[in-house]
Amino acid sequence: MTAAGGPLGALEGSGLGRAMREWLWLYPGVEVLHIVGIGLLFGSIAVLDLRLLGFSRGISARRLAGHVLPWTAGSFLLIVPSGLLMFTAHATEFVQSDVFVIKMLLILAAGVNAALFHAVVFKGSQAWDTSAPPAAARAFAAASLLLWIAVIACGRLLAYF
Amino acid sequence: MKRLIMIGALAAPGLVLAHHGWSEYDSSKALKLTGKVVASGYEHPHGHVRLEAPGKTWSVVLAPPSRMERRGLEKGALKAGATVTVEGYPNRDKPGEMRAERISVNGKSIELR
Repeated sequence: MTAAGGPLGALEGSGLGRAMREWLWLYPGVEVLHIVGIGLLFGSIAVLDLRLLGFSRGISARRLAGHVLPWTAGSFLLIVPSGLLMFTAHATEFVQSDVFVIKMLLILAAGVNAALFHAVVFKGSQAWDTSAPPAAARAFAAASLLLWIAVIACGRLLAYF
Repeated sequence: MKRLIMIGALAAPGLVLAHHGWSEYDSSKALKLTGKVVASGYEHPHGHVRLEAPGKTWSVVLAPPSRMERRGLEKGALKAGATVTVEGYPNRDKPGEMRAERISVNGKSIELR
């Protein structure tokens, strides 16, 4: 007798999935870790994006990036495992949720946006390290902020749709 | 039995994720149902029971288990076979689903909101 078919059903029915649903304080605790991670991710990205939009031009963009980006990367150590744990609890429902699919696509888009920015624009940042950023940098920064805000919105809306 | 309860829980797709806020429930139609629990989930993010009431079996959305436990509604009280009374509101779009504001079981009334 299987509860729900496929690997996602198995994931949901696993001890880990059950623990997430049934242990009284595990799910809320995991949510807290996820949110702390999101705070670190968005906060670190936002201060750099604001610099890339042209604010605080006296601050070296390269030094700022060197300071915040390791924290951005580190935030995924909180976000990804906690996200996977919550996914495990209701895997079959998450994959059927449009909001969840949109959220994942937005994360992918934000990642591509960041990769392109570093490959194309940030390489030449020596020229504007303590001055006004070029239009391309502003465009990538604006896209980054909007994409991450949309990701957060989708994450929150998962509970409402 | 535990497995059966879980199947009951999983057989109700869409019951778990989308239950924040109250706007999807019609507060102009107060319901009070008494019946027998046929399946239950004492689960995050919201507990739930399948309630066999006269004429209809309802999916009843409860509160997070951590809240229910703090208010004295323990897991064992929602076992299949238990007789409970729930007061709450029906879902506007999903017939047969309601959210309980209050549940009475074993002579004890527990606020879920």
